[in-house]
Amino acid sequence: MEKRLYFVLGDAAAVAGTGALAGLAATVLVGESWLMLPAMGIGMAVGMALALPASFLFMPLFGAMEVMLPVMLGGMLSGMWIAMAAAMRPLGLAEAALCGAGIGLAGLVACTAADAWLKRKGNAWTS
Amino acid sequence: MDLVTKRKWDSAAATFDLMGGYGPEKRWGPRKREFFSHMRGRVLFLAVGTGLDIPFFPPERDIVGIDISAGMLEKARPRAAAYGDTLELRELDVHDLDYPDHSFDQVYTSCTFCSVPDPVRGLERLRRALKPGGELRMFEHTRSRYFPFNLMLNLMTPLSRRVGPEMNRDTVANVSRAGFERVEVRSVYLDVVKQIRAVAPAAA
Repeated sequence: MEKRLYFVLGDAAAVAGTGALAGLAATVLVGESWLMLPAMGIGMAVGMALALPASFLFMPLFGAMEVMLPVMLGGMLSGMWIAMAAAMRPLGLAEAALCGAGIGLAGLVACTAADAWLKRKGNAWTS
Repeated sequence: MDLVTKRKWDSAAATFDLMGGYGPEKRWGPRKREFFSHMRGRVLFLAVGTGLDIPFFPPERDIVGIDISAGMLEKARPRAAAYGDTLELRELDVHDLDYPDHSFDQVYTSCTFCSVPDPVRGLERLRRALKPGGELRMFEHTRSRYFPFNLMLNLMTPLSRRVGPEMNRDTVANVSRAGFERVEVRSVYLDVVKQIRAVAPAAA
């Protein structure tokens, strides 16, 4: 698990920023009149579309896959969840951005947990 | 020589250090220092690029660093000069490797086989360049077996392929397909960034 403060804070800022952006885009795009399933699909696609260039933006600062994958996951989940919420009830921009940032951070936690689990399964050389 | 690939990396040379020179090297620095610490004998380092990995090499090893791109090598020269006389740089495509069979004790690659156009043929050429029992050591990002990472890497690949690497290569399987033995893997990050080591068969 990454313990260097530069990367811990940098990764968190990258996923929170991308999650907030994806949440904002999803809530602007999706209205209460939308059916939930198409809203989730569109939100997920928009989140991923925004996360891809964002990940290339953060890569020079914070590394390659270690920032790309959490940013992609966070953007995808944020777009999906915020779009689903926006299809159910009115959602303000600040609330969407805040929730999006939280979902982005949850994506980072999920990636960190998955990495730790895989390393516990086998951090040694395996054939 | 594969001129399409050569032109792609010549174009990328100008901004390569900007994209990969700080964050990725700072993140992977300690892992790479350990990875390269096992260099021994005559070593072929494939795709030396702009030489970002050279500062992590242990001192005074007998290394030949090759790359398909003259633009990349031009940027690598100051780093190679700082390393010393035992590191030689050559412009060479792995598919056209012109060293006699069994020339090297070890082959190292670092984030290379995401970009080699014909990875199995390239790896076969490396196997022949290794002495029987010689070692291949790779630090590579590969496809993932797990959802949603496999989906994300598949979606990124059509875009990333245009500027450089493919994100979903099954490099571990390619090493076996190329005839290497005792293929072993160690995870660096998730199921994506990996160290791979394998051995050229004794009868190769």
